[in-house]
Amino acid sequence: MAMSTTPTLLLFLLILPSAILSSDPDSSIVSELLHLQSQSKSGLIHLSDHLLRRLLHPSSAPRPFSLLIFFDAQQLHDKTELRLKHLKSEFSLLATSFIQNNPSDPNIFFADIEFKESQSSFALFGVQALPHIRLVGPEAKDPKSDSIQMDSNDFSNLAESMAQFVESKTGLTVGPIHRPPMLSKTQIGLLVLAFFISLPFLVKRVLSGETLLHDWRVWLSGAVSVYFFSVSGAMHNIIRKMPMFLADREDPSKLVFFYQGSGMQLGAEGFAVGFLYSIVGIMLAFVTHLLVRVRNVTVQRFVMVVVLLVSFWAVKKVVFLDNWKTGYGIHAYWPSRWT
Amino acid sequence: MAASETAKDSALRHAFGNVLSFFILVLIGVLAFSIRLFSVIKYESVIHEFDPYFNYRVTQFLTKNGIYDFWNWFDDRTWYPLGRVIGGTVYPGLTLTAGTLWWILNSLNIPLSVETVCVFTAPIFSSIAAWATYLLTKEVKGTGAGLTAAALLAMVPSYISRSVAGSYDNEAVAIFALIFTFYLYIKTLNTGSLFYATLNSIAYFYMVCSWGGYTFIINLIPMHVLLCIVTGRYSSRLYIAYAPLVVLGTLLASLVPVVGFNAVLTSEHFASFLVFIIIHVVALAYHIKGMLSPSMFKVAVTLVVSVGLVICCAVVAVLVALVASSPTKGWSGRSLSLLDPTYASKYIPIIASVSEHQPPTWPSYFMDINVLAFLVPAGIIACFLPLSDASSFVVLYIVTSVYFSGVMVRLMLVLAPAACIMSGIALSEAFAVFTRSIKFQLPSLSGDSQVDAGNSDSGSAATTQTEAVKADKIEESAKERPSRKNKKKEKETVEKPSVKSRIEKRLLVLPLESSVIALLLLVLLGAFYVVHCVWAAAEAYSAPSIVLTSHSHDGLHVFDDFREAYAWLSHNTEVDDKVASWWDYGYQTTAMANRTVIVDNNTWNNTHIATVGTAMSSPEKAAWEIFDSLDVKYVLVVFGGLVGYPSDDINKFLWMVRIGGGVFPHIKEPDYLRDGQYRIDSQATPTMLNCLMYKLSYYRFVETDGKAFDRVRQTEIGKKHFKLTHFEEVFTTHHWMVRIYKLKPPKNRIRGKTKKSKS
Repeated sequence: MAMSTTPTLLLFLLILPSAILSSDPDSSIVSELLHLQSQSKSGLIHLSDHLLRRLLHPSSAPRPFSLLIFFDAQQLHDKTELRLKHLKSEFSLLATSFIQNNPSDPNIFFADIEFKESQSSFALFGVQALPHIRLVGPEAKDPKSDSIQMDSNDFSNLAESMAQFVESKTGLTVGPIHRPPMLSKTQIGLLVLAFFISLPFLVKRVLSGETLLHDWRVWLSGAVSVYFFSVSGAMHNIIRKMPMFLADREDPSKLVFFYQGSGMQLGAEGFAVGFLYSIVGIMLAFVTHLLVRVRNVTVQRFVMVVVLLVSFWAVKKVVFLDNWKTGYGIHAYWPSRWT
Repeated sequence: MAASETAKDSALRHAFGNVLSFFILVLIGVLAFSIRLFSVIKYESVIHEFDPYFNYRVTQFLTKNGIYDFWNWFDDRTWYPLGRVIGGTVYPGLTLTAGTLWWILNSLNIPLSVETVCVFTAPIFSSIAAWATYLLTKEVKGTGAGLTAAALLAMVPSYISRSVAGSYDNEAVAIFALIFTFYLYIKTLNTGSLFYATLNSIAYFYMVCSWGGYTFIINLIPMHVLLCIVTGRYSSRLYIAYAPLVVLGTLLASLVPVVGFNAVLTSEHFASFLVFIIIHVVALAYHIKGMLSPSMFKVAVTLVVSVGLVICCAVVAVLVALVASSPTKGWSGRSLSLLDPTYASKYIPIIASVSEHQPPTWPSYFMDINVLAFLVPAGIIACFLPLSDASSFVVLYIVTSVYFSGVMVRLMLVLAPAACIMSGIALSEAFAVFTRSIKFQLPSLSGDSQVDAGNSDSGSAATTQTEAVKADKIEESAKERPSRKNKKKEKETVEKPSVKSRIEKRLLVLPLESSVIALLLLVLLGAFYVVHCVWAAAEAYSAPSIVLTSHSHDGLHVFDDFREAYAWLSHNTEVDDKVASWWDYGYQTTAMANRTVIVDNNTWNNTHIATVGTAMSSPEKAAWEIFDSLDVKYVLVVFGGLVGYPSDDINKFLWMVRIGGGVFPHIKEPDYLRDGQYRIDSQATPTMLNCLMYKLSYYRFVETDGKAFDRVRQTEIGKKHFKLTHFEEVFTTHHWMVRIYKLKPPKNRIRGKTKKSKS
């Protein structure tokens, strides 16, 4: 009990007189920031309007530290195109890595500021659009003109490029970024162990030719699903991080599943059309290879009618959707029409 | 007696089928060629776009100076003052092909110009590619599927987009080389003949000469070999198909200067070597298995497997070490972006920014392979029933290519042949089933057909429907193929199911009326495909972009400003004058005006491009100094504001600023933007209004309509009346699309200064 209270008490004792008397504002503010930093898990200092004013008070320049500020807005976190959440996690990764690499070097502090709480600070920096990251150097007096905005190129490439930016502008060394590994060491060890144990069994089964790999049905379904995956434009959705659907701008309760314009598509839209693309071929193969073996003519007739109707509908739907989405009407080439 | 008659009958039918398919193939060739002529008919016989102009110029050089000079060609007309070693940095396949065509035609006393040969190279090779598709699909699923696939490939829009008359680029011949290499691989796999294996290596060599996409082949074939080994399909034919290809193919590939030692050093090729080792281990295992008794073999297998595993592990370790020691882990950025789709967007903005490298959305598939997208799954399933070495290869081909096309829209071109093959197989099987159902159940023929079905095994002789011929051919080819093989065991195993299926086939029919409807719908689908392809060829993919047209209420307008400007340059400037422009117009300037340029579309030297970008973004005086230091006499800008041509230099200007600023930090993008917006009206920043690009584009623009209204940006420009101090206008084309300026000589200025200082 006593053990835990003493350091905080000590800190208070350190901060309190200095804050009141402001005998040595620099060291007091640094230690305060260090304290705030140690309290936060991510190594980010959460700034309020008040704190920021104090930090950036013109009289405080030159300060013994730089400040890298991440401008955040909770309400925009669900807008995927801004990638605020992702950038913030990268930003805190940068902060923790810096603290880890330079434990006793308070030359730069990483801070975040929330729009809802500190609108006046946003105005102070003239921040109009997010994402926005700004570096306030030790010499900076006027927050708007003396600080340096991080270019969108610099944070597009994640923590590493942010580190480059910091290194180039402040001359500090950030050191390697410590990303949390995908699998912990014990997990990797267990996996390797499991692999080695199963190796003899696997070899035996491969030699005797009884693995899943020897079943053509596995390969068939794999091939068709890769095809489905690709023609549905899923790769586009992964690379562009497209959501499955959007809320309608005019009426938020409505959902938009289909996006008009050929350069972009939504997730659900892609899978729907990918399904239409695939289903026709699968049914055609079903008819030509399986249905012909059925002996009952009524069943054949019934299935054929269903298959034909569904295929016709699917093709028609895709043609319609394509014309709607891209705006190109496909028509026969007839030279006399447009000379 | 009866036996000899049926034999005679089937021989006759066979001959008839061959003649028919020959004529169908000729027609497919004509179709493939003629559907690509829209660009010539609608516009004229002219080379398209940018890169083809470079290829054209190289071909001209080749035909004029011969192959040795071409091989050693150092081009001093481009990248002044650096120059470019053309012989060692181009894929020579296309150039050599067109050069050879021209040479043959000329020695036959057919005096065609080099340009004409270049324009028509792509359509000619599309026809040949269609025939290669026929051969490949025939090896997989028989003649009927082959003919259908060839007909589909002849007009698949994705391929048309790269091979219309005039689009003289590497892909034009490379797709043929790709398909033909695959055909020869399958052929070797089916026959086990070393002759075809050698041809295969040579075809691979041609592919390496033609296009960087050859890495697809050298990774796909090892993958297939590995797949065959893993699924227990190893055979001596597989060994013959693969081992010579790796050895001969790699040796031949390293003869191409642009590839050279990359053929053994970069990790795109490592997969083939790894599989080369594995196939030898497996071959050894099978050999020992054949020699030893089963019990002895069990002892041996442990030995071989353990030794093999150790060797493999060692090789893998070496490879991993090699790969890990290089900065990009041994893989070039382009290939990495294929395997990890998010790689490019994270690390390589230049690759990510090119529109060809974007991932496609679903309408792209409908545009580029149209209804084939519906048929491919049926083809995949048909390939599995039954699965052979050949059909497993085409399945692997479609799966890999469809995956890669999902990453990069440009690779749709590689997908297109695979989609045609698969759809050809699907359509042919469907037609076989439906026509068979109709044939055996037509009321008038029902009596006959039942009798036929009873005593003849190859269907009724009464009908001459092509589809029936096709269906028979599939059977026949299935019958013939094993007979060529030497091993009896394989013969029996392959023949058994085919006999079985023939017995069953008599009963395998669908109801008559639904078959008729299904057939009609399939024909309708095919008709839709034809309509779409002709539309795509005629309207979407035929614009040469060097000549522009627009349709307005008062008729057709033709904008031929580019050639007007290049012709002016070639007639009115000195041969050794240097012309500066943005890199897009480099190839065209050297090819059409024959003047030295500073940068061109090869974009190999970023600093040089940045220098030009900086000059364009600087004020007049600074720009003049940069250009003068590069000995530039003329500056060419493309301006679309008067006629509304959107891809002009003002629209590309921000890229010039960005690229320039990347090397020369005093150029800052925000200086050219007002509140993050790029504008040229009265709100534009002073830096923007004073930069060289703005001045050269809008000089005297106000004299055209009095208001200086820019039709592309839909606004009046910011600064209307100004004079040029360091440049003088020497030529502006009819529609103001190209404007050429001359650098003023420095004398006046210096004299003025000295005068001032004297006074």
